[in-house]
Amino acid sequence: MKKTEQLTDSMSYIMAALTKPRHGYAIMNLIEETTKGAITIGPASMYTIIKKLLKQEWIYLHDESDSRRKTYLLTEKGREVLEEDVKLRKLMIQLAETGLEEARE
Amino acid sequence: MRQTKYIMSGGLAFSEDKDMEKLCRYSLKGWHVSDFTFMGYALKKGESSDYIYSVDYRWLKEDEAEEYFDFFSSSGWSHVTSEGDIHLFRAHPGTKPIYTDRETTVEKYENSINSMKNLAIPFVFLTVLVWVGTIISSGTLKTILLVVAAILSVIAIPTAWTVITTYSNKWEVEGRRGVVNLVKTIPFLLLLIAVIILLFVGGINTTVDILTSMMIGGIALPTAIWVIMSLNHRIKGKKD
Repeated sequence: MKKTEQLTDSMSYIMAALTKPRHGYAIMNLIEETTKGAITIGPASMYTIIKKLLKQEWIYLHDESDSRRKTYLLTEKGREVLEEDVKLRKLMIQLAETGLEEARE
Repeated sequence: MRQTKYIMSGGLAFSEDKDMEKLCRYSLKGWHVSDFTFMGYALKKGESSDYIYSVDYRWLKEDEAEEYFDFFSSSGWSHVTSEGDIHLFRAHPGTKPIYTDRETTVEKYENSINSMKNLAIPFVFLTVLVWVGTIISSGTLKTILLVVAAILSVIAIPTAWTVITTYSNKWEVEGRRGVVNLVKTIPFLLLLIAVIILLFVGGINTTVDILTSMMIGGIALPTAIWVIMSLNHRIKGKKD
């Protein structure tokens, strides 16, 4: 079986924002605020990724009572995928940090 | 005074960026796009404004539209108009782009391919079949098939070309420059082959005649469409 494919950056950010139920606009805002505007996600990218995550069953439709502002939440499977992704990203950050540290000495 | 105006599109598959820049320039002059029309855009006269335009391709189910358009309006992109799976948006300069990463931009072009190829591939296939039929048949049937084949070809060739261009748009985003350049040379190669065949079959005079008529046709047809659509808008504008 193929190993879980690596998440794209945008997918990973959106999943990170979906540990709590949030609608699209809230996700975009949270990502922007967290990174002080350094990372933004455009509406078409956002919509494409939400559809994709739903199809993968990594997120599910949590509340659709407001059809303009539907909220989504990570599924159990999605949580596992995100955890794996965070582990992987941490390894790369460690590599960069130790490398930078050594270069400084 | 006339309040609406018609401008031609270069065809979204061929010149999406150019089209969007054109709409931008017209907005600065106070002409704002309000609708898609046959092979172009309808513009309405208003105040001059600095706008940027973007287009997205997506088939929306009824219960999806509200949320989809809300994503855009929350990000500062107001919805101008839609036609089938094509949606046009406008925003003030400096608004973040509607696609912010390469992966999803690739999918944008996949969306536009999907809606076209279901129609185009059977159509091109049918055209080829009718041509084969023309070659193997004889008599009246041959004549009828020849006429049908010619008519189908007039539609099939631009359709096939559009689909190929859409694929090449996708490859361009994916960074496959080599393939894109190859695809861009195909029409010229085909033209060259056609000219060579003509030279052999018909001689120089016929070739020159045919090429001249093709060039005249190539200029006259878009001009005719533009004139008809402009007149149409002028008449509608007066009625308003």
